[in-house]
Amino acid sequence: MKFDYLKDLLKERFLDEKIDRLQYAYDATQKIYLPDCVVLPKTTQEVSRILSFANQNKVPVVAKGCASGFSGGALNVAGGIALSMELMNNILEIDLDNLIATVEPGVVNYDLQLALKPHGLFFPPDPSSWKFSSIGGNIAENAGGPKAVKYGVTKDWVLGLEVVLADGSIINVGSKNVKDVAGYNLAQLFIGSEGTLCVITKALLKLHPLAQASQTMQATFNDMELAAKTVSDIIKNKIIPSSLEFVDHQAILTVENSMKAGLPTDADAILIIEVEGSVFQIKEDLEKIEQICIKNGARVKIAHSIEEEESIWLARRSISPTLKRIADGKLNEDIVVPRSKIAEMIKKTQEIAKKYSVMIVNFGHAGDGNIHTNIMYNTKDKDEEEMAFKAMDEVFNECLKLGGSISGEHGIGITKQDYLERQVGKRTVELYKQIKLTFDPNNILNPHKMKL
Amino acid sequence: MDERLKKEWESCVKCGLCRSVCPVFRELRQEPFVARGHISLLSDFIKGNFDFDSEKSKDYLYKCLLCTTCVEACPNDSGTDIIVELARRRIVELHGLALYKKVMAKILLNRNLMDLSALSANVLSLFLFNKNVNTSRQSASLRIKLPFFDKDRLIPPLAPKTFYNKYKSYGENPRISIFPGCLINYTYVKIGDAFINILHKLNIGYIVEKKASCCGAPIYFSGNFDDARILAKRNIDLFYDQSIDYLVVLEPTCASMMKFDYSKLFMYFDDEEYVQKALKLAEKIIDPVKYLYDNTNIEEKLKDTGLTVTYHDPCHLKRTQKVKNEPRDLIKRAAHFTEMKEADRCCGNGGTFSIDYRDLSLKIASRKIDNILNTKAQVLVTGCSACIMQLSEALHIAGHDEVKTLHTLELINQSLKGG
Ligand SMILES: Cc1cc2nc3c(=O)[nH]c(=O)nc-3n(C[C@H](O)[C@H](O)[C@H](O)COP(=O)(O)OP(=O)(O)OC[C@H]3O[C@@H](n4cnc5c(N)ncnc54)[C@H](O)[C@@H]3O)c2cc1C
Ligand code: SF4
Ligand code: SF4
Repeated sequence: MKFDYLKDLLKERFLDEKIDRLQYAYDATQKIYLPDCVVLPKTTQEVSRILSFANQNKVPVVAKGCASGFSGGALNVAGGIALSMELMNNILEIDLDNLIATVEPGVVNYDLQLALKPHGLFFPPDPSSWKFSSIGGNIAENAGGPKAVKYGVTKDWVLGLEVVLADGSIINVGSKNVKDVAGYNLAQLFIGSEGTLCVITKALLKLHPLAQASQTMQATFNDMELAAKTVSDIIKNKIIPSSLEFVDHQAILTVENSMKAGLPTDADAILIIEVEGSVFQIKEDLEKIEQICIKNGARVKIAHSIEEEESIWLARRSISPTLKRIADGKLNEDIVVPRSKIAEMIKKTQEIAKKYSVMIVNFGHAGDGNIHTNIMYNTKDKDEEEMAFKAMDEVFNECLKLGGSISGEHGIGITKQDYLERQVGKRTVELYKQIKLTFDPNNILNPHKMKL
Repeated sequence: MDERLKKEWESCVKCGLCRSVCPVFRELRQEPFVARGHISLLSDFIKGNFDFDSEKSKDYLYKCLLCTTCVEACPNDSGTDIIVELARRRIVELHGLALYKKVMAKILLNRNLMDLSALSANVLSLFLFNKNVNTSRQSASLRIKLPFFDKDRLIPPLAPKTFYNKYKSYGENPRISIFPGCLINYTYVKIGDAFINILHKLNIGYIVEKKASCCGAPIYFSGNFDDARILAKRNIDLFYDQSIDYLVVLEPTCASMMKFDYSKLFMYFDDEEYVQKALKLAEKIIDPVKYLYDNTNIEEKLKDTGLTVTYHDPCHLKRTQKVKNEPRDLIKRAAHFTEMKEADRCCGNGGTFSIDYRDLSLKIASRKIDNILNTKAQVLVTGCSACIMQLSEALHIAGHDEVKTLHTLELINQSLKGG
């Protein structure tokens, strides 16, 4: 049989019955592509053997973290091997002298945070999916979260990687050194490469001391544009909150309907603002932010207990999965524009929604310009579906006109590959292809993603 | 199958959030052991793309505690419990039931409750009844060699007299009817005693309906819908016309089964008459602690027992019946209360789960032990006898027999004595 070698190598960690293949066939895009088999390696050596086998036999291999991806990166679109990293989930070292953690890729982001907390440390990238996405997936997608406005995204916190290349060779890129300029910066090339250049088997992560204190505030606006203007005003006033999230009216209604978190359903938009630092610093920042909000006509509520704070954040993190309550189809985009252009972009999406008679729900990491634009449609209504895609096309165009990008964090995968060239240009896509060929001449690593 | 049931799996958006809450997934770490995995299989089965013919189906679908932690956490209210039950039904069709589950169904279906005192045994271990074993009623607990599984397991002693043998209806024009549940009827009769005592102290009349059948949960949960349906029908017919305000169901799992699963079971069989009857009866079903809290002035009558206690939320009390604050409020009046971390994490019992996957079940339980010990409580209080069985064993294994377990009703009863 074709996969006998893998079966011998991995024994019960090699799965090829339909029941198994089905459970590794999807991710959060809800699309389904059956892999031919599933493997669950426990060591880098095993990953290496799997890849060299696949390379010799020219079988596609798709690395999979927790399958929470929003662009289809973890889908076996051309069949082949689903390489699940679920069992490589050990935190290998927390180096308190250098503030560096060494982890296997299957470690769940939040589990790492829990392990770091007693040491007074944290890993700043905090995608909303942090409780159910892996560090490997975070690196492969260069994930960002609410804290990106202050701390940046995953790429800013990875010092080095151990990776397995398509031919099975194991290499280390980057190092524990804060400064290291020897050779090309391959670590940064691999971050965000969506499993198309290598399989990550180990990561060296930079850690940050936990802030002394933090506080969360919710500002309620009757006018979305004023909310967006407030975001720009806060930044203009040289205050960098640790999170600055916004939620539009429809998103408020949907999440409130699902979980009764006490969000103001009459609001046109809310901002969720978190500040961090010394007790003195946060007091000062909060006061300034409060003034700016009030000047822009907002009602302000400061969370005074951990429970209140957690309930606000839980509501925020639950928006995305609750959208199904509105319609069964959604085009889930994560466009990003320069922060100063947020108000303009949101206004554009509203115009586009009107023009095509579709509902668009916006929320997101406004502090870094990243807007989750969700175009909702009924999958059974073909006309509506067509309108939704047209609307999406126009959203991308407007976003690019404003100097934005079609993806701030979810990646290109399969869902956005047709729009990639529009943003980066033909020559750049060619270059991607050449890079891909250099690393993976047989195109076995996650083929047919990102136009590769 | 009724369209209403479809919502349970069609609402899943495959976000993966359930991976962060499932107690089984936390131990096994693989997609086949989490709600999203279960749902994907059932939905492909319904669409006709897949069938549960693989032997593995059992392992994947029976390794679920039906604890509903994922249901509570799911932003879209996906009903993983009913999904798993439906999948199990198909598995039973294809692979049959484990021998002991067949025996169990037979016993639960055919017994005459009043005659059963001779054969009294706890419901989950009924099938374990073994003539060679010394069932001395004096011993605090017994080690019984499981005939089917050959694993030592601590099993509580059988009560000398069942609840149904001990009590009959009391008072004039009683407004409540008591449904003890098999575990309390046969084994933890003392929990039933506590409730009866409380009612007497408060001078509340009650009906003990001795013709009641097992609620059917153990057989329904294992995928045996046909037998569960027979039991559900019997109970509905028995209680439907009773002129009562409440049917007080002492076991949270039985309450949950009768209140929420009966209607779904009949939806599955497209039996609209009984769907409606089940929904109607559901309105009357209530947990005893919630009943006391809502309908009596018991709060004012509780005295401090001097005990330091912590509380564990039973899955089928907190999550399905949403009873969470009531027991805490009463406990706080009866004892010194410290909240433990993750008080609502499943204890790992899961009915037959704890028999089929003993090691995994105890591993899940052991995660609670540290949280219990950290509170320095003398007593662990909870509102479910299956949780008591599981957690007292886990405490015993961990070498902490000094921490006692009490049912909320027992604590309330002690405190009502005016100690
Ligand atoms: C409710 C919800 C909220 C979300 N919020 C955010 C957010 O705030 N910010 C954000 O950035 N994203 C967000 N996401 C998207 C998603 O969670 C992230 O992209 C996450 O990083 C994916 O991690 P994963 O482990 O699930 O990876 P998967 O989905 O399994 O895989 C994603 C990609 O990474 C590759 N990959 C995985 N592991 C490896 C490895 N070891 N080596 C090489 N390649 C690998 C896969 O091939 C695939 O291309 C959200 C998703 C959901 C469902
Ligand atoms: S069951 Fe709920 S939490 Fe789990 S993947 Fe589906 S929608 Fe998400
Ligand atoms: S019911 Fe409990 S054990 Fe079963 S999938 Fe949900 S969380 Fe896991």
